[in-house]
Amino acid sequence: MTDWQERITRDTAPAIQIEHELRYRAAEPLIRASGVWADLGCGNGIAASAALADVPRKRVVLVDVETSVVARAASELGAPDARQLVADLTDPGDLARIAEELTGAEAERIVTCFEVIEHLATFTPLIEWATALAREHGVTFVISVPNDAFWSISNPYHSSSWGEGSIEELRRLLPSEQTLVRQVALTGSVFVSWEAESHQHELVADVGGGATIATHFIAAFGPRHGALQLGALAAQADQLAQRRWERQRESNLALAEARLRELDGQFEAWRAYIQKLESELATLKPGAQAGK
Amino acid sequence: MRVAFLLNDLQLSGGVGVVVQHARRLSLLQGWDVTLVMVREQDDGGWQGYEDLASLQVRSRTEALDEHYDIAVATWWETTFTLFEMSAERYAYFVQSLEDRFYDHDKAERLGASITLDLPVAFITEARWIVETLSSLRPDARCYLVRNGVDKSVFAVPESVEPSLDAPLRILVEGSARVWHKQVPEAISAVSAMREPHHLTVVSGDPESLAGVAADRVVGPVDHAGMAELYREVDVVVKLSRVEGMSGPPLEGFHCGATCVVTPVTGHEEYVEHGFNGLITDWDDPMGTARLLDLLARDRSLLHFVRSNAIETARAWPDWEQSSQFMTTALLTIAREPQPDAVAPSAHLLADLRAGIDAYSRHLEAVRWQPVAHWLLGLRRYRIVRVLSRPLRPLIRRYRQRH
Repeated sequence: MTDWQERITRDTAPAIQIEHELRYRAAEPLIRASGVWADLGCGNGIAASAALADVPRKRVVLVDVETSVVARAASELGAPDARQLVADLTDPGDLARIAEELTGAEAERIVTCFEVIEHLATFTPLIEWATALAREHGVTFVISVPNDAFWSISNPYHSSSWGEGSIEELRRLLPSEQTLVRQVALTGSVFVSWEAESHQHELVADVGGGATIATHFIAAFGPRHGALQLGALAAQADQLAQRRWERQRESNLALAEARLRELDGQFEAWRAYIQKLESELATLKPGAQAGK
Repeated sequence: MRVAFLLNDLQLSGGVGVVVQHARRLSLLQGWDVTLVMVREQDDGGWQGYEDLASLQVRSRTEALDEHYDIAVATWWETTFTLFEMSAERYAYFVQSLEDRFYDHDKAERLGASITLDLPVAFITEARWIVETLSSLRPDARCYLVRNGVDKSVFAVPESVEPSLDAPLRILVEGSARVWHKQVPEAISAVSAMREPHHLTVVSGDPESLAGVAADRVVGPVDHAGMAELYREVDVVVKLSRVEGMSGPPLEGFHCGATCVVTPVTGHEEYVEHGFNGLITDWDDPMGTARLLDLLARDRSLLHFVRSNAIETARAWPDWEQSSQFMTTALLTIAREPQPDAVAPSAHLLADLRAGIDAYSRHLEAVRWQPVAHWLLGLRRYRIVRVLSRPLRPLIRRYRQRH
């Protein structure tokens, strides 16, 4: 029951929501210090809103392919005065409109673009545009792509496949002012009081080393790339939903196996029957009769 | 954007095929004018397999010298001889392997190929190991990575692989027996040393060079569609190459549901994971290779596991569309940046040339004295000479170690 819903909604699996929120938290120091922040492929704004609730933002530019989605993001972020743009990031004309919004005022500029590139029919215009803005206008970009290659995920919504190899291809096209980060999944456990009161735990996570397999790759480039904030984020897993999902899958599998056994049995019975028929048929052949 | 790719010829080969794929796709972009420049005189047979060149232009060297390009791209070390004759705003070099390794240590081409890496150009290459090598050899040079795509319409990845339960292990060996570094006879010999039942298909562009080899069938030359069909018929591709850029055939095999047994040749690390989607054998170890193949033949669970993972690896590998987007962006970046300064590369080139001259001088010296040394060593069949030469033994030992 793979959920190919590509937009983050409130029903998206908690692990995916956390991954997305963490990316905005990583860019938080940059957004906080910026005069203009643009979010390309802003979606519903749920993760950005969770990560940046207390972060003051001077000017916000929200960009996505649907008017309603951009409006929802503005509402979710509590930024009704945000500039809302509907744009195709493969279209140089649309990219030029976004550039105007960014370069209109003399201020520090930051652009986030998370989980977008893999959806584009061609990423060349976006990369060309972004590197030019970083080089000529001092815009800092933070982008992310999934590690499709490791999991060999064939996602029908993805036009390109990303992994260690493609991130290396991309890295060499970006300005030399760049920071690359791997985003890695965590597993964990926690004690809560018997009454299950709401509580926040400090978390110590040992990360890195040989088993470091990225779920996503993050690249920051532009003058303030070094301000990207490393961090971790964890939340209580929704075991009820997970148990239901796993049990449903196990149940379906058991059912399929039982059906297969039944079909195997039928097949064996049919084979025996066909063999019997064939041998009876052989006895009816003219040659066989003549031999009698 | 006017781009010229310099090629020796349009013979059907992996390296030329990669250039043609990129050029063909770039030529379809709006505002791009792409030319294939043949730097050698061509005969009529030079177009085999590349009839569909879409909107590409093909020019002779002489014709191209009258044109002006935004970027001229050398694609093989010998094509760099023409590169700077071309009138272009920028000069680039698409490096698909470290080509000096194609030649024996005492061949002049080896030095010639290696010093072309010292030219004042922007590099584009297809494998991470080449990027890393070039970055350490030429820290002053810009180097872009554009991995080869796979034509997914020809090498279409199946939903799943059909388990091979008990039939003889179906093996494919690909390559020309005349190209020493492809190690085709060695691969055939390793398969012959198997104990388990197997069926060997050998595919070669020049099958006549494989007359009498121990194979169940020898086929070729075969086009891409034909290769895909053959890969789909086998369980495993055996590739024991000594020199590769990124080694396409096992990856194409992955796309068609075949795993691989390969040497740890450069480029294999781009996609082969030992015990996960293929098996890596050691150098010069036909018996070890045969045992790995026997293992796959006996352990059908392992065979299915690695074949299943091979198609998953293939699924995530970029197609030509994605690869071409990286090539487009790399060329746009090269066009935007200034043409590399020639001072630092000249220093590299001259240092390498001097080292090469020293090496060849030593080599020629050794060759000159070789007949005398052999004659002297031959005298050792006389006992009196052996007794008298006893004090010279350390010198003789040193000579033998060197030669």
